[in-house]
Amino acid sequence: MASPVESVVKKIAVLVAPVTALEFLGEDFLLTGEGPILSVYSLQASAKECASLNVLHNYRIHGIRPGRKYQSGERQFNNVISSEISVWDNDEEEVIVFGGKGVRLVSFNSAGQCLKLIGPLLELQDWVLDIHWLKAQPHPLLGIALAHNALLLLEAESGNILSFYSCVETCLLYSALMIGQNWDSLVLVGGTVFNQLVLWRPTGTKPDGQSQVERRLLGHSGVIFSLCYLQKSGWLASASDDRSIRLWSVGTLGGDAGCGEETPTCLRVLYGHQARVFCVKLTPSRVFSAGEDGACLLWEWGGEGKVGCTFRGHRSGGVRALAVSEGSVGCREGWLATGGADGGVRMWRVAEERKDSEETQSETQLDLAFKGQGCPKVVRLVDEDESNTVLVCTDQGEVCLSHGDTWDVIWQGGAEFQSYCVMEITSIQVQNSNCIVWVCAVGNLNGGVQVFLVRQPGVGVLLKAGQGKVHSVLWVKGQSGESWNWCLLASGSEGLVYRWTIKVMEDESGLHMKEETLLPFLLPPCAKRWLTAAVTLSQKKGLYLCGDRRGSLLLYAERERNDRRIEEEERRMDLHGQETEDRQTHLEGPMSPISTLYGVHGKQGVTSVCEYQDLCYSTGRDGSVRILTVEENVLKVRRVQRSCRGMEWLEKVLFLGSDAPQGKKLNERTEKRKIDLESESVAEARFVMVGFHSVHFVIWDPHRQEKLLSVACGGGHRSWAYKCPIHTHTDPHAHAIGHGTLVFIKHGAVMASRSLASTETDVNGHTLKEGLHGRGISCVCHLGSMTKTGELSELWEIFVTGGEDTTVGVLAVNPQSGTVKVLAVLTDHISNVRALAAIRRVETNERGRDDWTNTSLLSSLVFSAGGRAQLQCYRLLIRLDEQQGQPICQVTQIAGHRLDEQWERKRNRHKTVKMDPETRYMSMAVVHNGTEYILALACSDGAVRLFSVTESNRSVDMLWECFFHQRCVLSVATYKLEDSQGRELLLLFSATTDGCISVWDLTAVLNSKAGVSWQGPSAPFFSIPVHQSGVNTLTLAPQREMGQMEENIISLASGGDDGQLSLLSIKIDQKEQENGGMSLQLLSQWSVPLAHSSPLTGLCLLRPTLLVSSSPDQRLCLWRVNSDGLHPLKVLFSHIADAAGLWAWFGVGQEGGAWVVVCGQGLQLFQLTEREMDEPNVTVNRRAKEEERKKVIFSHRVSRT
Amino acid sequence: MGRSSKDKRDIYYRLAKEEGWRARSVSRAVDLCAAPGSWSQVLSRKLRGKDKSEEVKIVAVDLQAMAPLPGVTQIQGDITKISTAQEIIRHFEGQSADLVVCDGAPDVTGLHDVDEYIQAQLLLAALNITTHVLKPGGNFVAKIFRGKDVTLLYSQLKIFFSSVTCAKPRSSRNSSIEAFVVCQNYSPPEGYVPNMSNPLLDHSYDVDFNQLEGPNRIIVPFLACGDLSAFDSDRTYPLQLDSSKEYKYLPPTQPPIRPPYQQACQLRKNNLLAKEDSPSGPLDDALSTLDLNTSPDTNTTTPGTSD
Repeated sequence: MASPVESVVKKIAVLVAPVTALEFLGEDFLLTGEGPILSVYSLQASAKECASLNVLHNYRIHGIRPGRKYQSGERQFNNVISSEISVWDNDEEEVIVFGGKGVRLVSFNSAGQCLKLIGPLLELQDWVLDIHWLKAQPHPLLGIALAHNALLLLEAESGNILSFYSCVETCLLYSALMIGQNWDSLVLVGGTVFNQLVLWRPTGTKPDGQSQVERRLLGHSGVIFSLCYLQKSGWLASASDDRSIRLWSVGTLGGDAGCGEETPTCLRVLYGHQARVFCVKLTPSRVFSAGEDGACLLWEWGGEGKVGCTFRGHRSGGVRALAVSEGSVGCREGWLATGGADGGVRMWRVAEERKDSEETQSETQLDLAFKGQGCPKVVRLVDEDESNTVLVCTDQGEVCLSHGDTWDVIWQGGAEFQSYCVMEITSIQVQNSNCIVWVCAVGNLNGGVQVFLVRQPGVGVLLKAGQGKVHSVLWVKGQSGESWNWCLLASGSEGLVYRWTIKVMEDESGLHMKEETLLPFLLPPCAKRWLTAAVTLSQKKGLYLCGDRRGSLLLYAERERNDRRIEEEERRMDLHGQETEDRQTHLEGPMSPISTLYGVHGKQGVTSVCEYQDLCYSTGRDGSVRILTVEENVLKVRRVQRSCRGMEWLEKVLFLGSDAPQGKKLNERTEKRKIDLESESVAEARFVMVGFHSVHFVIWDPHRQEKLLSVACGGGHRSWAYKCPIHTHTDPHAHAIGHGTLVFIKHGAVMASRSLASTETDVNGHTLKEGLHGRGISCVCHLGSMTKTGELSELWEIFVTGGEDTTVGVLAVNPQSGTVKVLAVLTDHISNVRALAAIRRVETNERGRDDWTNTSLLSSLVFSAGGRAQLQCYRLLIRLDEQQGQPICQVTQIAGHRLDEQWERKRNRHKTVKMDPETRYMSMAVVHNGTEYILALACSDGAVRLFSVTESNRSVDMLWECFFHQRCVLSVATYKLEDSQGRELLLLFSATTDGCISVWDLTAVLNSKAGVSWQGPSAPFFSIPVHQSGVNTLTLAPQREMGQMEENIISLASGGDDGQLSLLSIKIDQKEQENGGMSLQLLSQWSVPLAHSSPLTGLCLLRPTLLVSSSPDQRLCLWRVNSDGLHPLKVLFSHIADAAGLWAWFGVGQEGGAWVVVCGQGLQLFQLTEREMDEPNVTVNRRAKEEERKKVIFSHRVSRT
Repeated sequence: MGRSSKDKRDIYYRLAKEEGWRARSVSRAVDLCAAPGSWSQVLSRKLRGKDKSEEVKIVAVDLQAMAPLPGVTQIQGDITKISTAQEIIRHFEGQSADLVVCDGAPDVTGLHDVDEYIQAQLLLAALNITTHVLKPGGNFVAKIFRGKDVTLLYSQLKIFFSSVTCAKPRSSRNSSIEAFVVCQNYSPPEGYVPNMSNPLLDHSYDVDFNQLEGPNRIIVPFLACGDLSAFDSDRTYPLQLDSSKEYKYLPPTQPPIRPPYQQACQLRKNNLLAKEDSPSGPLDDALSTLDLNTSPDTNTTTPGTSD
């Protein structure tokens, strides 16, 4: 791998950027282009990255063309797909990589799995749209299509130009495709800026070197982004800005056939994408297209353009690259790969042709042909010995069981159970036996609850749950000692929940059922007063977590055990006879909850509660999952997870890697619990949300922000059962969980989303690389570094990011391996997240001391702010998992706040126009003050606002707002200092769109208790114009170089929209007068007017003498601060377009050096060595730089004075 | 009425004097990529408003046809064609233009390198035709994206103009990378022959004067223009700006003319986009039933718009 060129290639620590190129090497490898980096993924066994190299320096890879060693064969690896399949053997493979004006030859050794650069980076004068390997002797040549509708013939290794032709129409092309094997017979298809496709040949050239357009395909109403040609059928596909794909019959192109048919025709116009279509690929029987809507559509040839399958695997921003492996060209199974703007790479299995081709789309939903009496009302799945049968309860009071294709009535309730009944089933372990039986409970209108065995309906008991309607029956499984017991809950009238324990025993005469009545629960009074969900808690014995129709979560404590103690106590103190009697009667009555969260899930009710690994999860029809803890018998919400937009009806959560036999895990878990309780850090499990999204049953993965399953079942208010795929707990990938079968009731029929016996998965995808936000990342904040044992190879840098996709992400980045792991995705914001701030919390260790040295635990309070004046606060606890050696994150939601909350609560708001401005929070600064945190916010409505956040009582209070600026405030910074008497002072810096920086004295807020009577200043005490236009970023640091601790001198750096970098040196003095106040002395002001060629958006003072700045001009600049001003130290190219934020810090360990992270259209981590921070640009490598790049000149019009 | 009353009335007039413009008006102006015509409107208003005696000629060039604008001659043509340049000169009766403006922007793809490149090519095409129609000493104003390679454009413009400035009006939002390059005093290199048979290609980085990574880069002065007391484009204002005037929603003056997504949006509105779980209907029939010549769908959301 050691090439002479490589040594000067700047090592990129970590890069996440849109994936803009994908190409398969046979079925074994996938090549990806992300920024300038070419990576190879091995697809054998467990797919993983095996090599990665920066090949294009400052250009983004837009195309990868393997295939030099196929010159002898007929196979072409371009977008021209021929029908032959070549077997890919393990050898050296040459690959040409291009993007922008850069072209580079790379070799890949599949045996050693390494990439090597061949020759310098060729820099052309024009943008490259397509490259084509051409047959030639002795060396293969490259045909290059350029953006100004021209063709270039080049020697691959030397970069020497052999020929150059252009079309008479020199208009700009958005896409181009070359077809043909020899230069002489080549045809170029170009997608012009005028929405046309033009075909021309270099051989049709006139003496002046310009060719005429031979064919012109009209029809698109937008520019053409992608082209693909299928030689066998003579079809050409084009994907356009107009959101359509067009298929053209053009005949044979290239060779003797020239430009094909005289009058090409448009065969199909495929409209199916919700946004622009970026890529298209053709196979003999299919069209694959992908675009900005994040979907990859598979179009079947049959029918007039029918979508056979939709693949969605990327977060916002869409799909930017698409590749289809050769396997899917033939009749075998092949791979489809999609690359997203989010930096993710996904793989999907595609079978070429369904075996039973008659199967049409409408029949994929299977009618289970229910034939019982009446209408099915409740459907459940009975899982016995790996096979599933369907149990249905009808409105005629009958329970039927499917048996092959027939249905058997197993139980008839008679008149009592007609017209209304509720049913629930469970599997119960028979006492003194290992046998498992399924038990069914049916409740009716008059308080009757029939319990019976599914396989022996004669065995059962009839129970009485009061006189009125049984609203619901629920089974809960509890633990008593070493065994399990099952408890049946029936919610009757007037909020009474009747309870029994149900036991099934076996003796010589067969199975018997025995019940034991428990004290009922009493629900809090409300209109719809019945139980909807219940679970017993394993961590705390005798506790029940319940949910009701009113949306409340209730905690009940089993009284038996406690009662006995109480009774004993009372017997001892027999003195107060009267009271004891009262108490006694009270004890006999129904039990009330010991802890209530009234109506937390909204008026539509709670739908499920469950416990998993010592945490509780509840879902409701408010579209949220609440993660709950029980601390000292009090229910507490740790966090709320919203589902996707429009998915308001959640039914339950499913855990990834769940369903492991409970018994086996018992011991393991108790041990684990001990550890967890000590550190009070029970980590959340990965879960997916199950619910209804309009007329669909949906499984939503909140971590990936992706739908795993969508079945058009008709929507909510229906009974359903979901069979998870068998391999769920073995497959580490989340999407496996979406491959199960849904059984549901629709229009009086029992339906299944597919055959219950089916285990195969038609869409079996997996993730090669996880994506981040997709759309722009507006802000990034470094929380800290974690090492397991102080080893740097185990170093994880922890970040929080906020994006335009309205989410906040928690990331762990391992710079050594380049791994980026998404630890959590927080979806509480309703608009852009523009600002983040964090304060490290001090964790006390075992010895009761503040623990700063523990590098395997990190606790932070994170604040996020953004559009619609929304503010959120979370507590994050991140620790390294011992087994996996990877960090895991626990999120606790502390508080949320919105300025326009009243508006949201207003009725009929859709009918009125909202008159107040939709304020955006632009920037945020945070100060720790005793028990509270003070947040300063820059607001777009012209205000500076101050909030107080208290962690213990989870409150957010606005302390102060001031509209002094009357302009959009772009950035704020705070500074806390001590005066000579040791008193704390607080300064606030605010900067606006007019280029002014203002300084406010906020000392009073530190001392006022909770800001009760504090008015706050009405104007800043100092203001200075620094920039011509908006000040995007502020950063400050104390100057303590000279050891003058008593002097408060601050360096304040600012970056503006004018590209200017400024540094102010400020001295703060406390005024001598009685009433205090501050005075400010400007010691110096230095500016670099043209620091960047575009707005300066990120700035950080690494130390008082070292500044780092970033900008959308994609440069990362280092500046040294001397006594005489600012001096450029280093300019580095960054691969992050639209850079919006920056964070820099000094690394841990002996190696020293600093790290810089830049966010924008992706995320890039830079490592700076001490040497780079000391010396200006080294000129020694100038020759190396020249050798590294070779300019390919074909036009001499580029004049230079 | 004092001498300075006009200065009070017209800040831009005063600024123009301060910035050394000979007159507020120039007599011959070309607006490239003019549709929907707002710059031509402004040019017409600014140039004609002051001095009635001076003859003002404005030519607007675009590929698309525009609604007629009073006092503006329209040419429907391609700015990469020599014929278009010749037609402009014909309208000026053989004279060259004093000012060329270009506010064209391409359809953005969302990939910044592609978008910046295409915008640069548009600017170079505008510059190429400008070299045919602009008189020496004339001025050129065009839209630029201040992205990663803007220094290459600056170096190219500096060959043709003695003064190049990057200007951003206060009405342009702070966060946008869009800005305008103001090129003054057209003075092409000696012996330069305008040529439109080949496109003007952009510069590349070198190791000395315009470095990719290094302190030497060609960055032109930045000038924020416009009045600070005017409305702040970044500030969010309440809808009720003036207590005496009630807010009323006004539709856009000129909705997009046949946007590329028009048909797709019509189909989506009528639930005719192909979907996985919908039986496929003959799309062509559906298409033919839709009257696409009805008023364009202005409610449709364009991708990527959010605050």
